[in-house]
Amino acid sequence: MSQSDWRSNRPPAGGVQEIGRVAPRADAAAKVTGAERYAADYYPENYVWAGVKRAGVPHARIMGVDTASARALPGVVAVLTHKDIGGKNRLGIFEKDQPILADGVVRHCGDAVALAVAETKEALTAALAAIRVDCEPLAAVFAPEEALAAGAPIVHEGRGGGNLLLESEICFGKAREALAGCRHAVELTVELGWQEHAFLETQTGVAWQEADGSLTIVASTQTPFRDRLELAEALGLTLDRIRVTAPYLGGGFGGKDGVTVQGFLALAALHSGGRPVKIWYSREESILAGTKRHPATVTYRLGCDADGVFQALDCRLVFDTGAYASLGTEVFALALEHAGGPYRIANVAVHGKIVYTNNPVAGAFRGFGVPQAAAGIEQAVDELARVAGFDPLAMRRKNAVGCGDTTPTGVVIGRPAGLAECLAQVERHPLWRERQTWREGAPPFKRRGVGVAAVYHGMGFGPAVADYANAKLELTAEGRITVCAGVADMGQGNATTCLQIVSHALGQPYGDMELVLPDTARTLPSASSSASRTTFTYGNALIGAAGVLRERILARGALLLSFQLLAPVNAAEVDLLPGRIYHAPSGRSVPLKVIAGFMDAAERTATYSYTCPVNRQAIPTGGNLRLHGYPHRIFSYAVKLARVEVDTLTGEARVCDFLSCVEAGRVLNPQLYEQQLHGGAAQGLGYALFEDFAVSGGEIATGDLATYILPTALDVPDMETVSVAVSEDEGPFGMKGVGEVVIDGVLPAVANAVAEAAGVRVTKGTLTAEKILAALRAGGREATR
Amino acid sequence: MEVFFPRTLAELWPLKAANPESAVMAGGTDLLVRLRKTGERPPAIIALERLAELRRMSIEGGGLRIGAAVTIGELAASEIVRDALPALWQAAAALGSPPVRHGATVGGNMCTASPAGDTLPPLYVYGAAVAVAGAAGCRRLPIGDFILGPGRTSLAPGEIVTDIIVPLPTGGAFSAYYKVGKRRAMAIAVASLAVCIVRTADGAAGKVRLAWGSVGPTVISLPAVEAFLAGKRLAPDVLRQAGAMAAAAVLPIDDVRASAGYRRSLAGNLLLKLAALGDDEQEDGR
Ligand SMILES: Cc1cc2nc3c(=O)[nH]c(=O)nc-3n(C[C@H](O)[C@H](O)[C@H](O)COP(=O)(O)OP(=O)(O)OC[C@H]3O[C@@H](n4cnc5c(N)ncnc54)[C@H](O)[C@@H]3O)c2cc1C
Repeated sequence: MSQSDWRSNRPPAGGVQEIGRVAPRADAAAKVTGAERYAADYYPENYVWAGVKRAGVPHARIMGVDTASARALPGVVAVLTHKDIGGKNRLGIFEKDQPILADGVVRHCGDAVALAVAETKEALTAALAAIRVDCEPLAAVFAPEEALAAGAPIVHEGRGGGNLLLESEICFGKAREALAGCRHAVELTVELGWQEHAFLETQTGVAWQEADGSLTIVASTQTPFRDRLELAEALGLTLDRIRVTAPYLGGGFGGKDGVTVQGFLALAALHSGGRPVKIWYSREESILAGTKRHPATVTYRLGCDADGVFQALDCRLVFDTGAYASLGTEVFALALEHAGGPYRIANVAVHGKIVYTNNPVAGAFRGFGVPQAAAGIEQAVDELARVAGFDPLAMRRKNAVGCGDTTPTGVVIGRPAGLAECLAQVERHPLWRERQTWREGAPPFKRRGVGVAAVYHGMGFGPAVADYANAKLELTAEGRITVCAGVADMGQGNATTCLQIVSHALGQPYGDMELVLPDTARTLPSASSSASRTTFTYGNALIGAAGVLRERILARGALLLSFQLLAPVNAAEVDLLPGRIYHAPSGRSVPLKVIAGFMDAAERTATYSYTCPVNRQAIPTGGNLRLHGYPHRIFSYAVKLARVEVDTLTGEARVCDFLSCVEAGRVLNPQLYEQQLHGGAAQGLGYALFEDFAVSGGEIATGDLATYILPTALDVPDMETVSVAVSEDEGPFGMKGVGEVVIDGVLPAVANAVAEAAGVRVTKGTLTAEKILAALRAGGREATR
Repeated sequence: MEVFFPRTLAELWPLKAANPESAVMAGGTDLLVRLRKTGERPPAIIALERLAELRRMSIEGGGLRIGAAVTIGELAASEIVRDALPALWQAAAALGSPPVRHGATVGGNMCTASPAGDTLPPLYVYGAAVAVAGAAGCRRLPIGDFILGPGRTSLAPGEIVTDIIVPLPTGGAFSAYYKVGKRRAMAIAVASLAVCIVRTADGAAGKVRLAWGSVGPTVISLPAVEAFLAGKRLAPDVLRQAGAMAAAAVLPIDDVRASAGYRRSLAGNLLLKLAALGDDEQEDGR
């Protein structure tokens, strides 16, 4: 493949894009016309297909893998097992527990046992069918309680701690005693299911060996730099032998946070006789093998005094990580940190466990544990408001955290916090104010409810793992600006925001800029596209790099001018304007192209390294969570409101209106911001009402998109959004992360509305029509007018 | 695999005779899904989409003749269907999504013979007949005789469906289709109910035809429930009683979409959608 394939993305022609205004998406035209090349669109010359033999059983000992007959088939290039792997054959972040190809034990149905490489898809299918896996079934565990019982089968034999991946506790005051003394108290258990990322572009990529034998991988990945580290270790290669590039992703949502197909690609490319390899999961394989949102059972006890002031919280959260840890411990830590919601509660006991089972693997998913925690606390708050006779929104206002307050899990909020303002905005909003009239307007055999939820979301990786970015900008020899966007754009639009930031900072028009997407050979090491930190961290680095470049351009420009004017020129009197510099005292300009010619290549390249400040607060409890991200420093806040109409004949719930009121700092691009609010709400509605992921005996029953029900355009209402733009001065131009707080709390807002409409709360998994009809029946409201 | 595109029935029969193992394809929205899933590869496909004879709609002797290869989208766009056969029109509008409706045909929906096929309950309540043809000639049979079981029809090898003939209900008849799916588009019915009611002058139900989808191996008709409602005003308590009869009589199964118990409840409760009919005439079934 030639270098010309590494096309820089040229943004649409256009002027200077100022921060705070709608800048057109740099990828819009190319995506809409189909010209944009996703990883799935790469078909290198002379490529072969790679594919994976899956276990198909949840727990088994592998007695042997017979590849001979597959190898003998026509068109088969290679059939590989773990024996062909030179390195440690282990992937993972903290817990390196996941083999690229199973070596000895199968731990879930989607485990990869062998890898085939073939000339055509047909030959590949035949090869995979011909691989014989001799398995001895092992007793398996499919629920955390089972997995923790004495004598339970162990998912990772020989691991200290058995099936308990991590257990932790965060305690302040005397929760149980205080609860006993509360005027009002409620108890509630909520069960949450898996959620599938269901990105449009399933896991895919291509790879090949370069002439010097090093590997190049083009993959749909959120984490090109971390992938390189993981692959080097798992395959026994040095970093300089692997290059990973990440074109625009056709969706990620956390499901491509880490290695998916990259290990297979690398291994296949090392055994394909020098030919490029391509892998592209079918939807079924994507669902079978990919990570999902963690199922969890959360039990909440919450109490308040006679005035509705929260006094005590006692909760337990149990997460099922499935066969591998993936990012489970980090998801778990974030869930525990947010377990008490954005409130002031003095007496708190948060207890949690995350457990291995032989279920599908759970991992990162937008929200990262907070949706599960919010589902618990936000329904408990509503129940408490109901039994104590308070308005649910007023009760939240009474207890909301602000700057200077301490969260239930002991984090002192040291940064601006706009939750109170979000609550006030929602309280004033017609969708809330006119709720009574709306409820009463329900047609025959329909009931209506209005629910709210308040949430917050910690941004970034926490205190232990460096949240870093290295930005790079170049003034090209032609006087244009090349912007290296070192963090993957999975569709959220951060590449556009990178351009917008540079355009604003250097005053250069879009039309004079080029974009380089993440590439370990061309962009500098930067952390992943995740954790609501992408634009915050990379944006800060870019502003730094733009400052460096600006200074160099102005200094060189001043020097050039001084030769022309035969007098010293002070760089401070030179302005950077679109395409040129301008010296007001003399009225002279110099085009950037001329200045570029006056600099060498190294000078024309500006880099800047930025690492996020962290919360260094000493917290006496939850110590084993620190390594996994607790506590956070900066939080975004949001309030969600759902108006839901329930059909008392069928249980069908229709979300008629949805409001997201979000405080995520200043807004850099109102259009991209609103797209996050809409997309997060839609995905949250899917989690709440539709996406009933079914697993039984470790086998997925909803293994395709005909049975796994995603909401369609008809299922998602027109949405209203309100932005509360409080400046977070540590963020670029005052922004903070918005990518996840938008999905948090959608489920409980809907559940609270459904509970009001149905009279009985649905607490087990997705709120399907079937469960809502059962709730209506339990509340005596089935088939009532 | 060979694909043939005959333009006339006269061209089709010899092709069929020469390729006895071939599959007939109309829109392909069921067939292609099945081939991908099972890996089956018929030696040839005979496509019906260019057969003008199968793509016509016309009024004939008090009935609407619908060519088997008329698309669901065409049904949903037809004013005659909307005005004269509202249950069929609602079913067409509720089937799949715009791109699916663009390809899917009414003949394909019938030949798939799924208990969840959306056009089927309306065709039952309207008393539709199916015109079947083969090289040897034609025959015509009621839809209830055409569909034998899930995925089974009375088509003989070499035969195809050419038309569906739907008698137009008399003026003043009310008909509607109620579908419960797991979302508002691209949803296979969890349960459905088609109704066609001719009302008497005093507003009571005269002749009542009911057909349920997805609550049994095929579309379910319950003459006892129809007889119970005939002659009564459709007040909620009457409908509740009829609903209880229906819930007890249907034969639903558990699957990944819903439990049998839920389907049973729906079979009964959907009758209460008719309660609005007792109050006013404006119910449109949605
Ligand atoms: C995404 C999606 C959503 C769907 N949603 C719905 C839905 O909501 N409701 C619903 O009812 N269905 C739904 N379907 C199923 C399908 O679209 C319908 O059953 C459709 O009517 C089938 O028509 P077709 O022309 O595509 O049939 P085809 O796939 O062409 O044929 C189906 C079967 O009938 C045979 N056949 C077709 N025409 C004739 C003929 N004239 N004579 C003899 N045999 C014939 C074929 O050989 C084949 O066995 C959906 C399908 C998809 C892919």
